[in-house]
Amino acid sequence: MAVAALGQLNVEEPPPAWGSRSVDCFERLEQIGEGTYGQVFMAREIKTGEIVALKKIRMDNEKEGFPITAIREIKILKKLQHENVIKLKEIVTSPGPERDEQGRPDGNKYRGSTYMVFEYMDHDLTGLADRPGLRFTVPQIKCYMKQLLTGLHYCHVNQVLHRDIKGSNLLIDNEGNLKLADFGLARSFSYDHNNTLTNRVITLWYRPPELLLGATKYGPAVDMWSVGCIFAELLNGKPILPGKNEAEQLSKIFELCGSPDETIWPGVSKMPAYNHFKPSRTMKRRVREVFRHFDRHALELLEKMLMLDPSQRISAKDALDSEYFWTDPLPCDPKSLPKYESSHEYQTKKRRQQQRQHEEATKRQKLHHPQPHGRLPPIQHAGQSHHWSGPNHPMNNAPPPVPGGPGHHHYGKPRGPPGGANRYPSGNQSGGYNNPNRGGQGGGYSNAPYPPQGRGPPYAGAGMPANGPRGPASGYGVGPQSYSQSGQYGNSAAGRGPNQMGGSRNQQYGWQQ
Amino acid sequence: MAANFWTSSHYKQLLDQEDVDVAQPLDREKGITVEDYKLIKMQMSNYISKLAQHVKVRQRVVATAVTYMRRCYTRKSMTEYDPHLVAPTCLYLASKAEESTVQARLLVFYIKKIYSDEKYRYEVKDILEMEMKILEALNYYLVVFHPYRSLVQFLQDAGMNDINMTHLSWGILNDTYKMDLILVHPPHLIALACIYIASVYREKDNTAWFEELRVDMNVVKNISMEILDFYENQRLVSEERINAAFGKLALKT
Repeated sequence: MAVAALGQLNVEEPPPAWGSRSVDCFERLEQIGEGTYGQVFMAREIKTGEIVALKKIRMDNEKEGFPITAIREIKILKKLQHENVIKLKEIVTSPGPERDEQGRPDGNKYRGSTYMVFEYMDHDLTGLADRPGLRFTVPQIKCYMKQLLTGLHYCHVNQVLHRDIKGSNLLIDNEGNLKLADFGLARSFSYDHNNTLTNRVITLWYRPPELLLGATKYGPAVDMWSVGCIFAELLNGKPILPGKNEAEQLSKIFELCGSPDETIWPGVSKMPAYNHFKPSRTMKRRVREVFRHFDRHALELLEKMLMLDPSQRISAKDALDSEYFWTDPLPCDPKSLPKYESSHEYQTKKRRQQQRQHEEATKRQKLHHPQPHGRLPPIQHAGQSHHWSGPNHPMNNAPPPVPGGPGHHHYGKPRGPPGGANRYPSGNQSGGYNNPNRGGQGGGYSNAPYPPQGRGPPYAGAGMPANGPRGPASGYGVGPQSYSQSGQYGNSAAGRGPNQMGGSRNQQYGWQQ
Repeated sequence: MAANFWTSSHYKQLLDQEDVDVAQPLDREKGITVEDYKLIKMQMSNYISKLAQHVKVRQRVVATAVTYMRRCYTRKSMTEYDPHLVAPTCLYLASKAEESTVQARLLVFYIKKIYSDEKYRYEVKDILEMEMKILEALNYYLVVFHPYRSLVQFLQDAGMNDINMTHLSWGILNDTYKMDLILVHPPHLIALACIYIASVYREKDNTAWFEELRVDMNVVKNISMEILDFYENQRLVSEERINAAFGKLALKT
């Protein structure tokens, strides 16, 4: 039995060649990030021309060899295969001792460096959200959140805690796919073991109260807190809990979520750091008040994500089941999302820094990709339209979700050096849209202080069923893989009902041609 | 979803017996045979267990380390990858991969304690250098599924989880790491073979239970035969025979 199966496998999938390739198979293009333990470069595979991301494994600790964090990340990434988890393609090494930019020999004196080769992703969520003038639409936020939760649910089912969920670790490609990345702090966990884990994980602003209070036994709920912070940040337009240190972080959390006590969080007073950080006065929960401008379902979900007591916090699976994702406007198809010029938090930050230093445009060009690399054709939305033009979508269903203000200039922008704000003639922001509803509503987006949340008139009159029918296809409980594109987005009858964005989507891009 | 064996890299890398029973060309030049290989690998498995007792790590770490070592020699020569360095390095790497990190200098300390002989002594830097070479030889595939978990589950399911049966089958399972079984067979079948042998040994009739399992009993019996053959041969292995194998390895070419 086993022998036969093995034989089949050998035919279908040739065994991997042993040993790793050299990093010389790749041409380094530019630095795009700084991981937990190394730099990340964009590179081109010379043989195929494929663009990849190379993550260098820093060998700082000469006493203990190959970093255990890298071992964890490699083990975990080889284990996780999911469309919402970054794919580790291979590992390559550089043959000789390397020198850093200053010409000093690199840390590892034994060999050259080791690099993980990942699929290249154009953006990270923070970099994208920081683009001046860009505002995500509601279906877009739902789409990202849904993918984030799907990927995270998959990790949790496979007993992996990510432990560093934040915008810059959520990569997005130009197909609108979101993938969890940087598993440098991730760990396997098991419910039965009594292993203690470190609480020195997760970037401060996204760190849950239990870790701040010193918990060393924790589970998937830590990641869900981070998801809540990101969710609120997407809707709010800026980070919601930007603490400067642990004490301030906790007090910000308590100001928002109320001060914890034994009734709302049984056991909290026994937490290691509870007495140290115990709030001096009782505060009441203000999530609903602070985020009252969010729509009802968003707020409901956020409340459950930002539960102080980790045991009461919503799981990724239940979050995916929440009304929010099944109420209009539905999450859009990732493919229908606009394509943006590459942006990573690292780059946007760097760009901003550099722009301050050199105002001249010539200098600015250097910071961007020297040339478009053919992989990203100018955006051709027409080609995808059939995907979305369901036969029964009246086109006046919903206004096309276009970010307000100058944001949508990015849509059709060819890759290359960006110009100033005036590169594209303004004034046709709504021109060319065929959607008759668009004219009247368009203005609302540009000026709205918050992304439209679908509780006001923009969506109300759309004549859609309030809830997409939840067909029998909802299978993510069985296995994360079943969140595949086919059943997930309702362009087929079997799905959750028609995606109401469909008809108008096509109209949206008419102006480009 | 790949946290189960069937979608893991371990499953995809199960080897045919022919691919495991090899002596690398460089070693063959020294007259080292497949039989010598088996003896050396067995000795090194024992060495790993011994070191592991000193540094106090779980059996799982030992099992993973032995698996790394055996995988390594399906494609690398002992001439280039000295078994006396590969063995402790595999333990070092496995301790990281199994979240029971052991410091390299601690290993070096115990290596010196076990071996008075100069030539088997290695320093921290040797281990760290070999670690990188082994990572590469393993192609960074570090996940290993072991039969221990299925063994426990099977025994429970068969209602044979008395201390007696558990100890015996667990012990047999430990011994299978002195062979290359883990590179060739899925872990649950190895576990079943161990239970099979143990129940024959203890004269427990559980044919009915085995029949209800949806596994190919021929494979289980073949694995059992391999294990029994190993025990049989084991009695014939002399100290001289082992020394002769290591002697060939020490030859300069």
